[in-house]
Formats: sequence, C-alpha cells, structure tokens
Amino acid sequence: MSNATLGLELVGLTKVLGGRVIIDNLNLTVEKGEMVSLLGPSGCGKTTTLRMIAGFLIPEKGTVNVAGKDVTNLGPEKRPSAMVFQNYALWPHMTVFKNVAYPLKIRKMSKSEIEKRVHEVLTVVNLMHHKDSRPGQISGGEQQRVALARALVQEPDILLLDEPLSNLDAKLRVKVREDIRDLQRRLGITTVIVTHDQDEALSISDRIAVMNEGRIEQFSTPQELYDRPATEYVANFIGSLNRLEGGYSDGQVTSGNEVVGIRPEDVTFSKTQVPGSHAATVELVVPRGHFYEVYLKRADASLRAFISIDVPKVGDTGFAKVNKALVYKDGKLVRTA
Amino acid sequence: MTTTNTVATKEGFAEIKTAKLSTLGFFMALPPVLVIIVFVGLPIFVAFIFSIGYTGGPNRVISIIGQDIFQKNKWWGTPDAYLTVFRDARFLPDLALTLVVTFLSTFVVLVMSLGMALYQRIKGGKIASILSMLSLVPLFVPVVIAAYAIAQFYNGVGFMRTFMAQFGIEFPIITATRNAIVIGTIWTSLPFAILMITSGLQSVPNALIETAQDAGASFMRIVRTILIPLAFVPIVIAGTFTAIGIMGSFTVPLFLGPNQPTMLGVEISNFFTAYNRPQQSIVMAFIIFAAASGIAVLYIWANIRSAKQSGRI
Ligand SMILES: Nc1ncnc2c1ncn2[C@@H]1O[C@H](COP(=O)(O)OP(=O)(O)O)[C@@H](O)[C@H]1O
Ligand SMILES: [Mg+2]
Repeated sequence: MSNATLGLELVGLTKVLGGRVIIDNLNLTVEKGEMVSLLGPSGCGKTTTLRMIAGFLIPEKGTVNVAGKDVTNLGPEKRPSAMVFQNYALWPHMTVFKNVAYPLKIRKMSKSEIEKRVHEVLTVVNLMHHKDSRPGQISGGEQQRVALARALVQEPDILLLDEPLSNLDAKLRVKVREDIRDLQRRLGITTVIVTHDQDEALSISDRIAVMNEGRIEQFSTPQELYDRPATEYVANFIGSLNRLEGGYSDGQVTSGNEVVGIRPEDVTFSKTQVPGSHAATVELVVPRGHFYEVYLKRADASLRAFISIDVPKVGDTGFAKVNKALVYKDGKLVRTA
Repeated sequence: MTTTNTVATKEGFAEIKTAKLSTLGFFMALPPVLVIIVFVGLPIFVAFIFSIGYTGGPNRVISIIGQDIFQKNKWWGTPDAYLTVFRDARFLPDLALTLVVTFLSTFVVLVMSLGMALYQRIKGGKIASILSMLSLVPLFVPVVIAAYAIAQFYNGVGFMRTFMAQFGIEFPIITATRNAIVIGTIWTSLPFAILMITSGLQSVPNALIETAQDAGASFMRIVRTILIPLAFVPIVIAGTFTAIGIMGSFTVPLFLGPNQPTMLGVEISNFFTAYNRPQQSIVMAFIIFAAASGIAVLYIWANIRSAKQSGRI
C-alpha cells in the first residue's frame, strides 16, 4: 500500500481563513521515517498546515500526498495519519485502556487482538500500570504518553504532533522529547511535529521547516539552518545574532547597504592581538549559567560574545575577533565570511 | 479554647478561622433549609398523615367538610383511602395515561432536543442559531395561552380542519385525545431540554471530537461514544426535569386532554374541588410523588456517576 520512500508531500498548499491567506503556496517533502519540525512563531500557520495534513481543513489549492497516495479530498477519518493534539484530547469518560483501544474498535478487530495491541503500545510508552486509570487521575506527562499511544496504535503512515510538549514543565519537556525521538527512531515512523521552540526543533528533528507568515523560509537540517541560515528571518529566529547594518570585510563591519549577522559564539576576545582581531573594550558581562554574555565595544561595531573560559571583566581592554559572519542583502544570504 | 494553650501556632489560628467560616456557612445555608422544612416539608407531612387517616389537628376542618373520609383504625392509621383509590374505576386508567404521556413526551422531547443540539454543535452557523432561537419561543409564552392556542388550532372548527377542508381533506379532531396532550407537553417542555442539552454538548471540546474523527470514527459513532456520554448528566437532567414536569402537569391536559381518562394532575384537582374528596386526591398526589421520586433517583445516580468519572469521589 505505501510507497517505499515517500512519506509526505505537500504541493502548492494554499489556505484562506476568515478572508485572509493563512498558508501561501506551501511545498514540503518529508521522506519516509523522517522526523520534520514545523518551526515558527505563534500565528505563522503551523497548526493550519498540520490540520490540512490530517484532513480537518481542506486546502483551497494544492495537494496532500501521504505515502504516495493523494489524500487531499479525504476526510480525517479516511486518512492514514494520526494526530496528537496540543491538549492531548483524551476522552475523560474512558480509561487509559479504552482511550487507546478506541481506534482499534472502529477497525472491527477481535477483542483479543485489541487487547494484545493495546498492551503492546502501552508497554512501549511505559504506562501498563495505568491502563485502568482515567485521564483525570494521571499526570500531564502520562496523559501525553496516552495520547501518543492512541496515535501509535493506529500504525499510521504519518504521525502528526501539534506542540506536544508545550503543556509540560521544563524538565519533563526535555525528557519527553527525547522519549518521542527515541520512539520515532525505533518505529521508523514518519513524523511531523509543530513547535515554536527552536531548542526543541533543533534537538529532535532530522530536518526543520522554518515558517514565516504562511510560507516556508527554509527547509534544512538543524546544522545547515544554524550554519547557513538562508534568510535574515531564519538567522534571527534560530540561535542568537548580532545584527548590524553595513558591509563586511577583513573581519570588520564597514559602511554599506547589507545586513551583517554575527553569532555571539563566533566572537572571541583575547588580551593579545591575533591576526584579524581588533581593539575592543568590555562594557558589560552577564552570567548566563554555563557561559557569559560579554558586550564588547569596537571601533566598527558593538558586539555580543558568548564566552565560557578566561571571562574578562567590565572595563578590560583587549582584542575581539569575528570568526564568521553572515551577510544578507534584501533579507537573503549573499555570502558568509 | 483555653488560655493555657501553650502552642498558639499559626495553624491554631487557621483552625479557629475555618471553624468560624464553617459556622458562617451553616448559617448561610439555614434560611432556604428552614423555608423548605416549614413550607414544604411540614405540609407534606401533614398531608401524608391525613392520607392514612389522621384527621385531627391541622386536618380537622378538611375532615369535617370532605366526603368519604377514612379515620385511622389501626395503631399506625388506615390503608382505606389508598384502597378506595385503587378500586376506583377511574384511577388506574388515569395513572396509565399519565405514565404513557410522560414516557412518550419525554422520549420525543429528548430525541428532538438532542437532534437540535447536535445540529448546532456539529454544523453551527446561521441557520442553526436561528432554529435554536425559534425553539426557545415557547419559553416566553404562558402555558395557559399556549394550551388554549393549540386547542383552537386542532379542534373541530380549528385552523387545521378548516384549512384541510379547502382541499377536501377531513383532518381528524385531535383535541380531547392523548396525542393532543403529548403535542402540548412537547411544546412546553422542549425549550428547557434544548437549552440544557445544547449547553451540555457545547461544553465538549472540539479536540475530543476531532480526535475521534482522526481515529476513523463515523458521525454516528462519535455521537454515540463521545458526545452523548460526555453530555450525559445534562441529558439526564433534561430528561428527569421534563418527565417530572409532565407527570404533574395540569393546564395542558385540562385544555387538550379527554375528560376520561385524564392525567392525574387534572384528576387530583377534580377529586379535591369538584367531588369534594380531599383524602383521595391527596392519596393520588402521593402516588405521583412516589413515581417522581423514582425519576429523581435516576437524576442522583447520574450525578454520582459523573462525579466518580471525573475522580471527585
Ligand atoms: N478558523 C479560522 N478563521 C480565521 N482565522 C484563523 C482560523 N484559524 C486560524 N486562523 C488564523 O490563522 C493564523 C495561523 O494560525 P495557526 O495555524 O493556528 O498558527 P500557529 O499554529 O502557527 O500558531 C493565525 O493568524 C490565526 O489567527
Ligand atoms: Mg498552533
């Protein structure tokens, strides 16, 4: 039934809601077994895109292909996708077991088969001890796993997760995201996860689609996004950035009509001059946990640097060097230096 | 509270405070409880002992005026008033009519309001809100007027018959039949049930429905396995209130129903005023009361069930 390599293909998706174009000619190809994040600020259209993949919204234009099959005009109940909603959407009147068994009952499986499958998937998400609990009696993290189990038990061709971690506290979030990633790898299930948290996206995705106002700005691996952000928007959104207007040559910001982006971790400070470094004064030092954010004043520009060893003090003078700069013109990357 | 208390801790003060609060709470709850005891509980009690033959005290005057009064002849009273009612040829058909009308009307009301509420919940939009607004109109029409209007509509020279006669069709006279009572009670009971069930269904979050859809559930399955169970308490409330209201209804069966058998609400009034048999009318009232209590048990059961479900008890 499913094509061997195709996971998901969105072609020219356009969606209008409330008279506004929310998704504008969006293209995206996800390979089978790949985990892709839709990353972007709130309101950029991530959920809308996911809902079109799941079938809750029908696009005005464009097609949705799942596992090589055109599902654009199928309702959600006919699509080979399973979605986990932001608030888990567990049915409060059913036990954990019944919540997970529900999709299988619809598929008219035998009772013993259902029992076997539900037990399997509850074991995978480590919730067998809660199978007779009701959703109201278990913690947020556990509810999250029940929702995941209910999606996984359907053995979907594609798993859709809408901000699955946003309701968990910070510690749990990191653990659960690792669990999800681990599970996704083991089962080899094609997954699209929506998030507005760059850390989350960077740490669990094979590739990330950075969205902006209904379009995909860049679709690449986390490393590539970080090293070569294709647009100024992406550079700003992923990681931290010194944004300077002008030009760039010989390790210095010059006058010009471009935008120079310098990552704070690409700025180094030393007491002695090395090739490419220029005189600088330390203006402010802010502790940031495992590193310090150091504000440096140079003749050509003010720069923030992330420094973790040999941290200077306010008023120190020395030399700051820019190891790498991203140069943008009209918002697009023109060169790195 | 003694002054020798050596550990005057913060908790100690908190305890005093909660004690004060709970006393205050008790006194705030007291007035309605007192009103119910004095103006509802006591009359019920007095009426009940009258029905089993205690004719003295507050029941003395009515016992002198009323006919067929039975006096207590055993240490606990007498069953005679109950026996005469059950032996009366009118009573059992009346009771049957009352129960059948109650059952039929409640059933139709529930089905109709569920349909309306589902339409609004699933489809929404302008037509749905116009329809639901229209469905509330009966709430603002006094029952007497509505019952009279319905009688005029369906009687021998009513609109239905004259209109149909234009086309040579003889429309049956519906007034003075059981079905007319059913139509009337549905008319008066529908708005409350719709309000109740609509709000019950509206409170089911979209995501719970969409997840079911995503899992592959059909519309009917979602209604059966998600929507109705989650709106179960409002549905039971609507059903019990509707049933109890219909069971004790008076105006609609008086205007629209047959003379005999008639619903017990009307018969009780007949026995009390027209036939001057107060003891028998009170007996009938207690029998209706018992039936309504059965429905009330259903209501309490539904509430307990939902409390259990959400882990409150
Ligand atoms: N049903 C709707 N009607 C009108 N506008 C909508 C509707 N749903 C979403 N939108 C708008 O579409 C935009 C994208 O929404 P959404 O996809 O939920 O964003 P995200 O998930 O990225 O935060 C938002 O500006 C939102 O206000
Ligand atoms: Mg969203």
